[in-house]
Amino acid sequence: MAGDTIQPVSPREADARVAVDVKALQAAGQLDEARERFSELVTRHQRRASRIAFHYVRDAADADEAVQDAFIKAYTHLGTFREELPFEVWFTRILINGCLDRIKARKRRERWIAPPALDPSGLERNPAEYLPSRGPSPEEHVLAQERRRQLNAALAELPDRQRLVFMMSHFEGRTSREVSAITGLNESTVRVHLFRAIRRLRGLLAPGRPKVAALGRRVSRASR
Amino acid sequence: MRLVDTVFRQGHLSEQALVEALMTGERPLHLDRCDVCGDRAVAISRWLDDVRTLGVEAADEVFSPEQLAAQQTQIMKRLEQLDQPARVIAFPSQSRREQRDAGGRRVAVSWVGVAAAAGLAIGVIGGQLSARLTGGQATPAQIVQSQGAVFPTSQETPIRPEDKMLLDQNFDTVNIKAFEAVDEMTPRMSAARFGG
Repeated sequence: MAGDTIQPVSPREADARVAVDVKALQAAGQLDEARERFSELVTRHQRRASRIAFHYVRDAADADEAVQDAFIKAYTHLGTFREELPFEVWFTRILINGCLDRIKARKRRERWIAPPALDPSGLERNPAEYLPSRGPSPEEHVLAQERRRQLNAALAELPDRQRLVFMMSHFEGRTSREVSAITGLNESTVRVHLFRAIRRLRGLLAPGRPKVAALGRRVSRASR
Repeated sequence: MRLVDTVFRQGHLSEQALVEALMTGERPLHLDRCDVCGDRAVAISRWLDDVRTLGVEAADEVFSPEQLAAQQTQIMKRLEQLDQPARVIAFPSQSRREQRDAGGRRVAVSWVGVAAAAGLAIGVIGGQLSARLTGGQATPAQIVQSQGAVFPTSQETPIRPEDKMLLDQNFDTVNIKAFEAVDEMTPRMSAARFGG
């Protein structure tokens, strides 16, 4: 029967339905059911949120906490969510604001604490490097780690807004309009930030450049 | 094509134009005609792909599926705590209430202090009054006793009347019959001195 065919639901519509359901359950006081339904949203957006947070705050523990806080905030403030806006955009905005707060707090803290430990080559060690990877051979594993480390260091060189726009546009595949909605920046400003981020990253990651981490350290020292 | 590209780049596209073309998917006609710009676009596209792969790998390496599962568990736990009404731990007030119930009555701490001060004042005043009332009738022995002396008193060893007399006499003139025999045997100091 033609009436029995299930219409495919877009991720945006699916998110909106879940959000509306959770809101209704919360209002009815059925909190166990509301949480259970909300866990669908967590499952769907958790990985993407973790990537964004990790590249934005550049610290695994901070990123983990930022993602948790963002989901908690989304759940408690779900009453303010409007279905006209995609849940993803609304949630990412919460996440980014949380990340921004963490970055600011870290900058305030860093004024009073000693600089991070350096490895024998004088480069800052990234905690992510200690984690095991599934590289096929030790050489490839080391090379991949080195490239990731260089990319992380180069991303760290970007101003916060440029990094955010680059991440959202390039890693997450968002359009300028979507990034504009998430960040609250003008669309043309988003494009400018994106281009500047790419140009700067290409410069920093070009072969023959000095180690980006060492460069970054010099820059951060000079800015203090 | 923009005028700037025509004048300054001999008609080739700027890097910004190439990036925009790649990011938006709107392919300029120039790319189909110019091999140089086509090669540059391919190079940028490859570089962007590499960076994206590296970036995603770097994040996924840190957030493994196990860590994401743990994160979700933590989120759900925190949400559960939020939904539950806050509980008040009744430990200190509970124990205090039990003590009160056991005593039957509750005495304010300030009253205990007042009672102690009143007791001290009554003690001091009573002591002074009793000292004044009994001060004139005190015997020397009692006074000595009150001063903590350990000498024997008249009550302990009664002094005979003849012994009382000895206290006031010169020992050279004293004649006690019991000592006469001994006195006879004892040489005199004067005889010993002159006799040599």
